[in-house]
Amino acid sequence: MPPGLDSLKHIVVLMMENRSFDHILGSLTAVNPKIDGITGSLSNPDTTGAPVNPQPLAEFQGQLDPDPDHHFPAVDLQIFGGDTSASRVANMQGFVKSYFNQQQDVKHSQKIMYYFKQSDLPVLTQLALQFAVFNRWFASIPGPTICNRAFAHYGTSFGRVDMNPFDIIEPFKSIYTRLINATPKHTAKVYYYDTTSSTMEVANLLQNQPELFGTYKQFLSDCDKNLLPEYSFVEPNYNDHDTDSGEEVASDQHPDHDVQAGEFLIAEVYMHIRKNPNLWPNTALLVVYDEHGGIYDHVVPPACAPDQFTAAANNTGTGMEFKFDRLGVRVPAVLISPWIPPNTVVDRVFDHASIPGTVAKFFQVSAPCSPRETNADVFIEPNVQPVDPNRNLLSLATMRDDCPTFDI
Amino acid sequence: MNVIHVPRPSPKAMNPNRPANALILAQVSHLQQAESRLPLRYRSEIYIHAIKTEGEAAEYIREVTEAIHQAHADAAKRRTKRAPRRGLEIAAAAEQPKRKSKTKSSKRAKK
Repeated sequence: MPPGLDSLKHIVVLMMENRSFDHILGSLTAVNPKIDGITGSLSNPDTTGAPVNPQPLAEFQGQLDPDPDHHFPAVDLQIFGGDTSASRVANMQGFVKSYFNQQQDVKHSQKIMYYFKQSDLPVLTQLALQFAVFNRWFASIPGPTICNRAFAHYGTSFGRVDMNPFDIIEPFKSIYTRLINATPKHTAKVYYYDTTSSTMEVANLLQNQPELFGTYKQFLSDCDKNLLPEYSFVEPNYNDHDTDSGEEVASDQHPDHDVQAGEFLIAEVYMHIRKNPNLWPNTALLVVYDEHGGIYDHVVPPACAPDQFTAAANNTGTGMEFKFDRLGVRVPAVLISPWIPPNTVVDRVFDHASIPGTVAKFFQVSAPCSPRETNADVFIEPNVQPVDPNRNLLSLATMRDDCPTFDI
Repeated sequence: MNVIHVPRPSPKAMNPNRPANALILAQVSHLQQAESRLPLRYRSEIYIHAIKTEGEAAEYIREVTEAIHQAHADAAKRRTKRAPRRGLEIAAAAEQPKRKSKTKSSKRAKK
């Protein structure tokens, strides 16, 4: 058995908010051409028909205001360029048009094409280069946050493509419920930032199972005290607020929140695992974004096997039903472990249904799961023989001792 | 490998008066649904349709999240308090007829 998989005891997922792959990691193509980011041939037409190229002019805050539309109809426009015909083909040509719709300002609409320079984001770009970066990790739905995050917890959004509360439909259960009810019992926790930021993970879960929740402070303490559960899902701070100990700046990177605050959060999560010699060798950390937030990406989301739910035409806002048979726009995703070789680039297709799918398979928890989760690829191979060496990302024979350190 | 410097966010980044984004407003709406299932004494008195800024949303989110945790903690306490009493009641109920029948049978025997 590969030693990386053999020693793995903890999976941690940190899910950030609303940034596309090209926007955050697109600059890395210049460093490693295997990373499918920004090249000179990319453009989108503005509403005058003039081509707009991606430019490394993204700013940490104050640029994407108003928040770019990323509800289902807007994302449909972004992906299909405004073509609503039956024979339409996805072309990723509608991002500037979509942003123009919000302010009717041609110059402002071009900012949706801006991306960050590598030097702007020293944390996530360094982690992407030092560990495994996914060239094809897509949001689960071409739509907004809540339904996309649902895929990370349940492997389905139960037919929703919007932000409304949804009902959990049997027999599907959250990955946390599946883990704690399994025989043998496993441990799992959702760590939200604090009670003032709380959780996006479906009020039902909080209301019915508060024992599954902890705070970010507790996460850091659990890392330090070797009390981390087998599976942890960490949420950023979603809003600016005051606490007894001072100001807490939103760290989710959702426009128009400060991107550097999110970089600091990612570094802090990484370092609390990295600095604990009892945790670092046996933990895999996935940093992933829930959806693209309306921001430009050039890769066409692929079709996928449909879910068993369908969003009716009157619920999608496009006048067309949606069978959950196409993924959303591509998002940044990086898998971190000292058993992963540097400069690993993964070309297989993933979406957020891969998260419960991977966790359930790795911890060998069998429970009913949605068709989308069943068909989603895993990013950590189950620790059972035979392990395909071409798929196992934790592939090193010995643990690395050259992994990056951040000054947090 | 050298230690990589992580820049801190600008002090100007903080703005609780920023209009709450669609995600935060959706979270408020989800929490209101959760709040509506709580006993009345745990509910906040905040009118959510008046929430406009992140700071206002944050206040509501904190109140409801804490109330949900408090309601669950109180319910758990009640369950723990009740549990032993229920055990004793069951034990007592099981023993009572036994004693009665013994008494009856001994009385009968005496007769």
